[in-house]
Amino acid sequence: MANDNPSGGSSKRSRLLGIFWSLLFLAVPVLGVAVFIVAPWYDIWLPKDVSEHGKAIDGLFMFILALTGVVFIATEVLLFWFLWKYDAASATGPAKYIHGSHAVEVIWTIIPAATLLFLAIYQMNTWADVKMRRPAMAASVEVVGRQFEWRLRYPGRDGTLGTPDDLFLVNDLHVPADEDFLVQLKSMDVLHSFFIPNLRIKQDAVPGMKIPVWFKATENGEYDIVCAELCGWGHYKMKGRVTVESRADFERWLEKMYAQQEATQPEPLSAAAGAAVALAQ
Amino acid sequence: MNSQIVFRPLLRLHSSWAVLACSIPLLMCVSGCGRTPAAWFRPNMVEATKQRLSADQERQVSTVMLAMFGTPDAPLAPPETGLDEAKLQLAAGPVRSDIVGRKNGLYREHCAHCHGVTGDGLGPTAAFLNPYPRDYRPGVFKFKSTERSDKPTHEDLVRILHNGIPGSSMPSFALLSPPKVEALVEYVKYLSIRGETEIALMRAFFELDDEAEGKLPETREFLVDEVLTPVAEKWKSATDALIAVPEMASDLDLAASIAKGRELFYGDKANCVKCHGPTALGDGQANDYDDWNKAIVEVSKEVKSGVERAGETSTADMDSEALAEHRNNLAWLDKFGRVLDGGDALRPRTIQPRNLRHGVYRGGRRPLDLYYRIHAGINGAPMPAAKGTVPPEEIWHIVNYVRSLPYELDGELGADRPMVAKDRF
Repeated sequence: MANDNPSGGSSKRSRLLGIFWSLLFLAVPVLGVAVFIVAPWYDIWLPKDVSEHGKAIDGLFMFILALTGVVFIATEVLLFWFLWKYDAASATGPAKYIHGSHAVEVIWTIIPAATLLFLAIYQMNTWADVKMRRPAMAASVEVVGRQFEWRLRYPGRDGTLGTPDDLFLVNDLHVPADEDFLVQLKSMDVLHSFFIPNLRIKQDAVPGMKIPVWFKATENGEYDIVCAELCGWGHYKMKGRVTVESRADFERWLEKMYAQQEATQPEPLSAAAGAAVALAQ
Repeated sequence: MNSQIVFRPLLRLHSSWAVLACSIPLLMCVSGCGRTPAAWFRPNMVEATKQRLSADQERQVSTVMLAMFGTPDAPLAPPETGLDEAKLQLAAGPVRSDIVGRKNGLYREHCAHCHGVTGDGLGPTAAFLNPYPRDYRPGVFKFKSTERSDKPTHEDLVRILHNGIPGSSMPSFALLSPPKVEALVEYVKYLSIRGETEIALMRAFFELDDEAEGKLPETREFLVDEVLTPVAEKWKSATDALIAVPEMASDLDLAASIAKGRELFYGDKANCVKCHGPTALGDGQANDYDDWNKAIVEVSKEVKSGVERAGETSTADMDSEALAEHRNNLAWLDKFGRVLDGGDALRPRTIQPRNLRHGVYRGGRRPLDLYYRIHAGINGAPMPAAKGTVPPEEIWHIVNYVRSLPYELDGELGADRPMVAKDRF
């Protein structure tokens, strides 16, 4: 009965099927690795990092990728090998049974456990830098997640949030470059997640909580803010924009926006159009 | 041994059958279930039923509308409207890329799910929102820089798209490029002009003379000169109705202005507390409706009382003419009931006067915006115009007082604490 060919049909056809399925399984690691290799050329790799702590985070990512990648490739190749070599059409000998090997089981438990423990400890410092060692400064901006936008409140000239000189904006966050920047993150309604991919920042905005988020942006430019926690039908389009610029430009921009907010006269047509163009670019 | 008898027949399944069995559902998923039907403009059933139009009359209006304004996928802008058809093309139709790779179908991508394909505020998400999304068809817009009953200017609509409406579900579209914003504003105007023309046509049936025999004249003189042009002219002349805002005095003592504003707020001239409440929490009254909801409420009342009276009327002594009229009436009441319940109108809601302690201003938070709101009131809402009653300098005092409200603590109790806006979330 062990010799029965359950697939039926000719032995050659079964052997071909066996080859087909084992090659199909081999395609998984081959294509997987291929995608990772060509990813940067197709712009499906990590977004450009413009933050100070981003190097440490990306370094950890690559380290874990390399470690797990090696294990992945080894396991998959082994799987392919077993499929190929022990295909029922060709391996017609009797199966061998063993009662397990305690030594092997100990080894293949201890090694992964040790690796994971190492990883857990290795990354603690980076985690602390990003999530625990808050810079001692007043909040630079208050970001309130709302369905489906990011409402911003800058503290204004007096440096205190909640006073009449606050600057209120939507979706248009400006950040001075090369300076510590502290965000006070809140939510007006449901869970959102404040995610700036290029700054390697992601933090859930929890209703009822005030959560500090900090970073130091190192390069000028415009980057996306996206929502990373499903918050309703508009979650996919809950996008904002963060503009990193020099301190001088940042101050100028604050003044301009504050003047617009305090306007007691309508803007002349050309200026309004110009501002709309500048803001929307 | 026994397990072999059970499993053997199952194992006889060929792998090729397995491949076939898996690929058929996969092909079905990839090919889809059929084409989506083309979008169509929903007729204004509330107005049609209010005017007691027959099915034939409704068809007449639909035909004229189709000829004048086209379809959601192929809009037409009569030259009298002054609308730019190129911009409309960008905004109209399904979401797709045109021949140069530009995104088309902007309205359907960004706006239709709330405001509806017809711009009637009856999109799929509308029922879940408070406040309801705007119905453009009456041509009434709340937040603008023109006098109360005038249309908004182009810049007003661009500003709304740019800033969104804080305190409502209208998001900010600041991240859209200016050409896209322009296309959307043009399309909103198009939908509004279309809606107003439709209402005007429906109302025109009652002004027809006998020789028209209940049919709308399909002459250029009637359709364009009498119906369309007055609607379009109002839009074109919006910039003539801009509110003239005097400069706020540069040497103004803010504290004194706020004190004067407080007096006016609580005084009889402006009488803000009547609606906004004795502590400006918006709890003065809660029984009024905005124009869009008021229309539905009035009709609902008419239908309800009509149903009651019809129920009380005895048909026993009626002659055939009276009986026919009675039956017509019942049919109309039934039809209107179905229009109200069936998705051509949202359940009416009262309008809450603004809680001025929040610091959330729907039409914009600039002192200028508050001046506009107080001077002209809010078109479509119970907020009255202070123009004529309150002189301009005094409006500025009220503006300054209102802007201080989120930071004001209860009188003497909070006098020694720093002014900090209350965290409300």
